Amino acid sequence: MAPIIVGGLLQGSVFAIIALGFALVYRVTGVINLSQGAFCIVGALTMYTLELPLGWPAPLAALGAVLATTAFGTALGAATFVPALSRLPNSSMLMLTAGLLTLVEGAVLVVWGSEPYDLPAFSGEAPIDVLGLRVPTQGLWIAGTTAIVIVALWYVLSRTLLGKQLRACAENPLAARLMGIDVARMTLLSFAMAAAIGAISGILVAPITSLQFDSGQFFTIYGFIAVAIGGMGSFIGAVVGGLVLGVAQQLAAGYVSSLFSNALSVILLLLILLCRPSGLFATGVVRRQDVRDEQRIHLSVVRFKGRDTAGFGVAAVAVLLALPWLVSPSSGLLSSLVITGILFIGVLGLDILMGYAGQVSLGQGGFMAIGGYTAAILAVKYGWPPLAGTAAGVVLSVLCALVLSLTTMRLRGVYLALATLAFGLLVDSLATGMMDVTGGPSGLVGIPAFSIGSFSFSSPLAMYYLVLILMITLVVILLGGVRSDFGRALKAIRTDQTAAAALNIDVARYKMAAFAISAALASLSGSLYAFFFHYLSPEMVSTSRSLEMITMLVIGGEGTLVGSLVGVALLTLLPEIFQPFALYKRLAEGALLVLAFQYLPAGIFGSLAGWLSRLGTGRARHQSLALLLSKDDSQ
Amino acid sequence: MSVAALKVVKVTKKFGGLAAISDISLEVPEGSLTALIGPNGAGKTTLFNLITNLFPSTSGEMYFCGTSLNRLSPRKIAGLGLIRTFQTARVFPGMTVVENVLAGGHNQVRRNALQQMLWLPSARREERELTAKADAFLDLVGLSRFRRYAATDLPMGAQKLVEVIRALMTRPRMLLLDEPAAGLNDSETAELALLLRAVRNSGVTVMVVEHNMSLVMGIADQVMVLDAGILVASGSPKEIRQDVRVIEAYVGLQEAPA
Repeated sequence: MAPIIVGGLLQGSVFAIIALGFALVYRVTGVINLSQGAFCIVGALTMYTLELPLGWPAPLAALGAVLATTAFGTALGAATFVPALSRLPNSSMLMLTAGLLTLVEGAVLVVWGSEPYDLPAFSGEAPIDVLGLRVPTQGLWIAGTTAIVIVALWYVLSRTLLGKQLRACAENPLAARLMGIDVARMTLLSFAMAAAIGAISGILVAPITSLQFDSGQFFTIYGFIAVAIGGMGSFIGAVVGGLVLGVAQQLAAGYVSSLFSNALSVILLLLILLCRPSGLFATGVVRRQDVRDEQRIHLSVVRFKGRDTAGFGVAAVAVLLALPWLVSPSSGLLSSLVITGILFIGVLGLDILMGYAGQVSLGQGGFMAIGGYTAAILAVKYGWPPLAGTAAGVVLSVLCALVLSLTTMRLRGVYLALATLAFGLLVDSLATGMMDVTGGPSGLVGIPAFSIGSFSFSSPLAMYYLVLILMITLVVILLGGVRSDFGRALKAIRTDQTAAAALNIDVARYKMAAFAISAALASLSGSLYAFFFHYLSPEMVSTSRSLEMITMLVIGGEGTLVGSLVGVALLTLLPEIFQPFALYKRLAEGALLVLAFQYLPAGIFGSLAGWLSRLGTGRARHQSLALLLSKDDSQ
Repeated sequence: MSVAALKVVKVTKKFGGLAAISDISLEVPEGSLTALIGPNGAGKTTLFNLITNLFPSTSGEMYFCGTSLNRLSPRKIAGLGLIRTFQTARVFPGMTVVENVLAGGHNQVRRNALQQMLWLPSARREERELTAKADAFLDLVGLSRFRRYAATDLPMGAQKLVEVIRALMTRPRMLLLDEPAAGLNDSETAELALLLRAVRNSGVTVMVVEHNMSLVMGIADQVMVLDAGILVASGSPKEIRQDVRVIEAYVGLQEAPA
């Protein structure tokens, strides 16, 4: 028992440092910075390069790695995070930092490749005795450094003028600005400090865990769970939350199974979010949401006349019908087209939830997993026909969505997004952990092709037309919904829940409906995915997938239904067409998401459509606005 | 004067130790047009927020046509036909002008989302009828030309008008209008006065918070004056004009430099 607890405390120290980085950025900006974990990896791998291939002495390499990572973080923050903060609502900022995480992961993949790295322990591998327990010396380094970071952070924040300025930004950015504090600089400073903290924790942990380009996600997730347990924005909470999480994980791994220790920490997070959303140590600092959030987002309105829509629609369908005959059958392009269509169905659901109802979901991959695994397991192990299995998956997903949205009803904005993230992670870790049922990390094999009755869609061509018909049907159905009262209610909720409720719109019910629709479509997409690949593994439907789907939606254009097809096609087909560039896929995805949020908020399709529709009415609009403004004279 | 549409009994609201509303009782007769005036910070908008339960009152009771409002959610209160507008026009961004007005018709939609998604003829007909109604309202306030523009592209005064007709689209029993004339010029204000008068004459009870004295005095059946959270006077426009306390609270404050 005691060794497990000590191990847990040591692991918890690492979570605690990362959680401190989260708390710092959250305190100053009100944003949960999901890119936090990426800097751990950059720090650790930079140290690796400096120490081993270049032969620097360890202390110098560590210092160099922290400085380099901080410089990198500062540059990245200055280019993306800081300018975006004044323009984007907090929910979009969350997505932006998810994009940054992907971007940095992609950059690490390009620089260091996909293999895992280890650092030598700072002071040898021989453990020493502390009070009768054998403790690896690296553990002492971790605990000691954590203590130093905590004290240093406490000193800077509570004993220096700089700390006062940082705290002023946290409490009321507008007032801070009026008092002459450079809020943008403070924001950047907090981001840079968080990057430095990330680098330190990465370097500390690298000798005891091997790290690779996508380990950053785990740091982000556990650091974040720690900070959510402790209380968002509370430094004591971050430390306690980190330690609690570390011990809980070690206990779960020691007494149950290491495969379930992830599931356990996610359940811990869900429980905390549900029972005590403000965490164990709620901060006295209540973020002035009114100051930053009331910034009204200017949303562009793209709406073609019914006749134009029908015209474009017919043309698009004609192109899609002809497409398989335009690509050479030998290339893998047809398969990529099928995948594009399958993913589009999932993204379509996400568009209803995010683009129309304005609810952020980081768990779309979880519903894909439910759909995929339910249909696949029923088909492989119980011989259910694919159609029935798919339907069962949809039913199960909708049930999960309803339960999740009922239990998270009290949560708003960022907390809701986090609950969905936790849900996705939970499904992911269950898929990994339940070896007997799901095949575990190595996946489920031998899934049959999709079939209806005796007709099997085993060729990519047959599958293409099946998916195409489904796509068109779904778009037409959803179009009917969003162009009626249903869509108006969702859009009203998206921007102003108070005003929507004042018009007798049942906000909770419509949110649930949007959530259920998105879950159903994700599930359908997951089932088709499994039947098409004849194989399903947890990583195909993991949180990375959720983030990728968000990227596709944002790049294509939210709130347009069909716009996301552009994003899905771009991210699915480009790596296929330019095979040598596959290495850059993740980097490009992250960069595209970050750039789209900043420079193309309406997405590619939205911008194009907006430009087209303005072409017709632009001049008339200026004339009539002028008329309205000079109403006195005209009458 | 018939039965009270809105009845407020001894309502108090404290923010911390500060009473924004102290012990206010008032009645708005059904079918009347009541104006609520008072200097900035008098608690007019707070009173609206209490009535619509955006936040709970510290003590006191509120009734709409005999139904207690205290425990109802803002949505349920809207469901009773008590519809409000906001001090800063809250049109929905990302929706066109006509969509904004149509959103007010939400409570009259009988076809469910599934029927809308299946493009059922009955759902499309309902949508067309609702749109025709919205267009008639837009016509009434002279905004038809802008029906397809983003609502947030309109000048503030026009956005407030959109909000008023969006509230009318709900077929309310009573309207609570928070400074509908803010941002309107003189001729537009006069048009709004005509509209409000017409709304009242069609049987809808109206309560309006307004700074514009000429608008208020011209159309209101009854005027209530709020100052520092206390109801200092109420009566006909003529009585209010001559009330010393009102002149002190309202005009006096305006003349004295703060």
